[in-house]
Amino acid sequence: MKQLIALNINDNVYEVPVDPRDLLVDVIRKKVGLTGTKKGCGLGDCGACTVLIDGSPVLSCITLAIACQGKKITTIEGLVENSGRLHPVQQSFIDHGAVQCGFCTPGMILTAKALLDRSSRPTLEEIKRGISGNICRCTGYKKIVEAISAAGETISQEGVK
Amino acid sequence: MFLNHFNYFAPQSAAEVLDLLGRLGSRAKMLAGGTDLLVLMKDKVLAPEYLIDIANIAEFKGIAYEPGKGAVIGAATKIAEIEHSAIIREKYFALHQAAGALGSVQIRNMATIGGNSCNASPAAETPTPLVALGAEVVLASLTGERKLPLEQFILDNRKTALAEGEILTKFILPEPAPRSAGRYSYIGLRDAMEIDAVNMAVNLVLEEDDLTLKDLKLVMGSVAPRPLVSVEVPGLLSGREFSDTLVHEASRAASGEATPISDIRASAEYRQEVVAVLARRLLYEAFAAAKEV
Amino acid sequence: MGRQNHTEVGRSVPRLDAPEKVKGEAIYTDDMVLPRMVYGKIKRSPYAHALIKSIDYSNALAMPGVLAVITGDEAPNKWGIVPQAANEVALALDKVRFCGEGVAAVAAVDEETAEAALDLIEVEYEPLPVLLDPFESMDRAGEVLIHEDAPDNILHTGEQLFGDPDQAFAGCAYVLEREFHTSYVNHAFLEPHSSLASFDPQSGKLHLWSSNQVPHYLHRQLSIVLELPMNKIRVTLPTVGGGFGGKGEAGPTDFCAALLSRKTGRPVKVTFERNEVFFTNKGRHPCHMKMKIGLDKDGYIQAVDFDNVLDGGAYSGWGMVVMFYTASMIHLPYRVPNARARVRRVYTNKPTCGAMRGLGGVQPRFAMECMLDEMAEMIGISPYELKLKNAVESGYRSVSNLYVPHSEYKKCLQTAVEKSGYLDKHGKLPYGKGIGLAGGYYISGTAYTLYQSYKPHTTVLIRIDTEGGVTVHCAAADIGQGCNTVIAQMAAEALGVHYEDVHVVSGDTELGTFDLGSFASRVTYGSGVAIKEAAAEINQKLKEVAAGMTGCRADQLVVKDRRFYSVFEPRKAVEWEKVVDVYTNSVGTLTGIGHFSPPRLKGIDLARGERVQGANIGHSPTFGFSCQIWEVDVDLETGKIRVDRVTEAGDCGQPVNPMSVEGQVEGSILFAMGQALFEEMKLDPEGKMINPTLHDYKVPTAMELPEINATIVDSYDPTAPFGVKESGEGPVQPTIPAIVNAVYDAIGIRFTDLPLTPEKVLKALKEKKAAE
Repeated sequence: MKQLIALNINDNVYEVPVDPRDLLVDVIRKKVGLTGTKKGCGLGDCGACTVLIDGSPVLSCITLAIACQGKKITTIEGLVENSGRLHPVQQSFIDHGAVQCGFCTPGMILTAKALLDRSSRPTLEEIKRGISGNICRCTGYKKIVEAISAAGETISQEGVK
Repeated sequence: MFLNHFNYFAPQSAAEVLDLLGRLGSRAKMLAGGTDLLVLMKDKVLAPEYLIDIANIAEFKGIAYEPGKGAVIGAATKIAEIEHSAIIREKYFALHQAAGALGSVQIRNMATIGGNSCNASPAAETPTPLVALGAEVVLASLTGERKLPLEQFILDNRKTALAEGEILTKFILPEPAPRSAGRYSYIGLRDAMEIDAVNMAVNLVLEEDDLTLKDLKLVMGSVAPRPLVSVEVPGLLSGREFSDTLVHEASRAASGEATPISDIRASAEYRQEVVAVLARRLLYEAFAAAKEV
Repeated sequence: MGRQNHTEVGRSVPRLDAPEKVKGEAIYTDDMVLPRMVYGKIKRSPYAHALIKSIDYSNALAMPGVLAVITGDEAPNKWGIVPQAANEVALALDKVRFCGEGVAAVAAVDEETAEAALDLIEVEYEPLPVLLDPFESMDRAGEVLIHEDAPDNILHTGEQLFGDPDQAFAGCAYVLEREFHTSYVNHAFLEPHSSLASFDPQSGKLHLWSSNQVPHYLHRQLSIVLELPMNKIRVTLPTVGGGFGGKGEAGPTDFCAALLSRKTGRPVKVTFERNEVFFTNKGRHPCHMKMKIGLDKDGYIQAVDFDNVLDGGAYSGWGMVVMFYTASMIHLPYRVPNARARVRRVYTNKPTCGAMRGLGGVQPRFAMECMLDEMAEMIGISPYELKLKNAVESGYRSVSNLYVPHSEYKKCLQTAVEKSGYLDKHGKLPYGKGIGLAGGYYISGTAYTLYQSYKPHTTVLIRIDTEGGVTVHCAAADIGQGCNTVIAQMAAEALGVHYEDVHVVSGDTELGTFDLGSFASRVTYGSGVAIKEAAAEINQKLKEVAAGMTGCRADQLVVKDRRFYSVFEPRKAVEWEKVVDVYTNSVGTLTGIGHFSPPRLKGIDLARGERVQGANIGHSPTFGFSCQIWEVDVDLETGKIRVDRVTEAGDCGQPVNPMSVEGQVEGSILFAMGQALFEEMKLDPEGKMINPTLHDYKVPTAMELPEINATIVDSYDPTAPFGVKESGEGPVQPTIPAIVNAVYDAIGIRFTDLPLTPEKVLKALKEKKAAE
């Protein structure tokens, strides 16, 4: 029996009918229609499904949608400012060649944003550790790490959040 | 890969949880972080009729430390909170290390310390240092509460001493003894998102001379169906002066006590070998740290 | 046009598709929704080898929400990437040959229903003996046959002889024989296979969207399996989330989606779970290799003897081609005057192996680079010196008739050695620390067509009009490697406009012109040639108009930076848009077409002048080269290998987009490191895969990222369009042997099988200690 729940996604409230067993990634992708969040493995092993819940990166493929009521969910679609300007992490990924096939990108960017929200000048080791829950098979991580570091610098200087 | 159909409850207080548990018993599973539960359900290993979501119960969350008394950690406290807690880092460093080694950033934001113990996977990270630090668990039900040392709570591979209608509500960590230090380490293939081939924690207490071992606890994970508390190592070292020879003997003794299996991650022989290596390294580390305290 | 004139080629422009990807707006196949769309799921065999006695899906069909069920007999036509060896079917016919093979497929209103319906399909199997080792397969072929038409359980045997290796060996001062075994690994691209098929019953047309690398090939296979005319099919690639060769064929998602769509009259989407990606596999062939190398007293290679048993898994797929590639890869990057190769690609009851990044090269490279490292020690010289003296140079023609028009391999070796300090470190680091060197090369496109015809491998159509400006049509597949961007850069260079002006229409067999697909690192070179030809046609026409507008002769005009101008009087110039405007008004839309066919080279033994079977495989119009030097630190007590630093120097010709090339190099390094140290698909004794998850199949995480110092050596292949060569598959070649050589330098043990897990290393250390 489906239940109508309210999910706050990117500061918009969506009323969606869900079954308790529905996973957040499927509700976001199929019921709300935001397909930026990706499914790479379905078991929480790759990080492609990463979304932010109350600012913390979590794996939406092993999160129940029904358990997310009253929380603030951020998906990749929520990073672009209303003016259309990209978040510094997004811009940095483009500028540094950190995007190849793009499938890991939404999850990776959200994890990076959360990392930089905590500390905008992380060390190389802190960055590597911070994104180690996001698998990328294309880039070898090097340009991703560089992009994150550079975005951190931009954020430090501009005071952007 | 879909879950079975189940009924979902999101109680708002501990009392409500116990009430539900009292009525539903083993037909219900607790949903805390869900990082183990939902994966087991997707793999069709488990198909609970009811899920009780305890993530929002304030009474089950939080880290409270009182000097001289020790710490109380709510069972539904996220691993990430434990990893970043200054007081845990200061007083219970081995737990800080294990929390930081668990899974990935995302998993640590979701998983809970209670879930890690209740899931009782032999390779679990936090039970190892918790046992070494002398942690106790508090189990609550409608009929009341009881306390157990953690090593008596985790019984076997995915089996705990939770009785029907009971829930683990908190961990109690004793105040660290003076001149004591705990350290944790693990062996795995990758440095992230790893299920350990072996993990280990050592908690060591020195006498006032900073050389003689007053007390010692060495706990191994992933080499037995439950955290393995070494008997021989404390037997060898307690009351004696820390020395290279003793450490060498102790590490070989620890290796002898381990009863690992061969599985997809490593063979029993390899695990047996590296138990000795970990034991030696952790004994040295803990000893050095205890002297600093 | 000489190299010094490039303005668009050689720029590290951001990728065309990067903005939509960082915003989450790029559409991948599983993101797509069509009206009335339903979902398909596949039922899979739990047995690795069994006869199918019966399939009863009546209960599944009766389930509410289920619209159709299909089984193998509804589409019995065989398909396969190598037409001469095609033996795959959409769903198993009569027999299953690996655990996880699809036996039926369901279409239902949602995924949950489709998945639940699978449980209601009853399949009766008669299990057969399971063969999991290629040698066992060959030995027991009298008793257990995997394919009825392969009486020895061998797909194909290749025997190649060049010169007189036996005589050459007899005269060698140094001869070494070794055995090597590589592992069963998977591409682990992050986006699982996914296909969305929409069959329109009224027109009889099929439109398929798929996460795929070879749209035209897929188009053709759909025609064969569905028995649909070619012109009633359209294949479109949405954004593709990685392929690495694993999507370089057609697959079960494609056929099942198409068949179910035709049966239901509704669009059907089939997206794999991660374990299904592992069952589908088509990853790297485990190779059991014996190699013998002979050097003369001065250290020059005189002969190579190579025996390779490839464990191919259950079906043929890319197998025959990979097999011949392994035979070919011994002929470069060193001069080898005499060679013999005996290669056999064997069937086993495992998920089939296919093409994986650097196909056919990685395995023999491992053997040869490690052996030369050992032979250098035998002689008493540095491995660097040995490899440098044997390295090929521009203009080299191998005894197997491979022609290398251009090579900077020596520069790669020199650069990597210099930047890493190899000579100061090799043999001199404290026990446990080591440095290892290996080289490699790869093809820039294949001679092999996958079609039994000689049509051009790539055609590019460029359209110039006032609405779109410059539009390049070519159904090349951008799978994340960035070929859309590179195509735009090359087109801009050739047309004298800016990269930002070019639109690329790719990956669609209706909108784009023919391209063989993204494999064997062929797209940059192939499309580059076609682009130049198409652009030449356009420039000629535009110049004629510009000539009139500027008062010059057409052949005195040059087009650059969006202007036509006279080489003699640069003030006589006119803007490119204005010329296009005038042309369009006077004549109409302007187009140019260009084609690429690789030179047709015979596979012959130049020494004896005889044809050699399969030796045309491995030919390429040009080759890329690289050298990697790895520095490791081995934990002597746990066997864990930590990588400290990787120094790389690569010859990719003129990099079209240097930032993209760096991305390929860095990605390749981690990719191949995974195979060297962590990755392995494991099967239980019954042939069931134990670790079909990203949990237990361990690809490198960011924590495994070492310090990488990569150099694109200065290079320009004058025979290549814009001087380009390849970059996506060459850098995976040296990695495994460089690591293995570094480990030898560290602990004095040469490993000959993969992966180098801590357990394996520790065991070897103990055995070594016991032997002393």
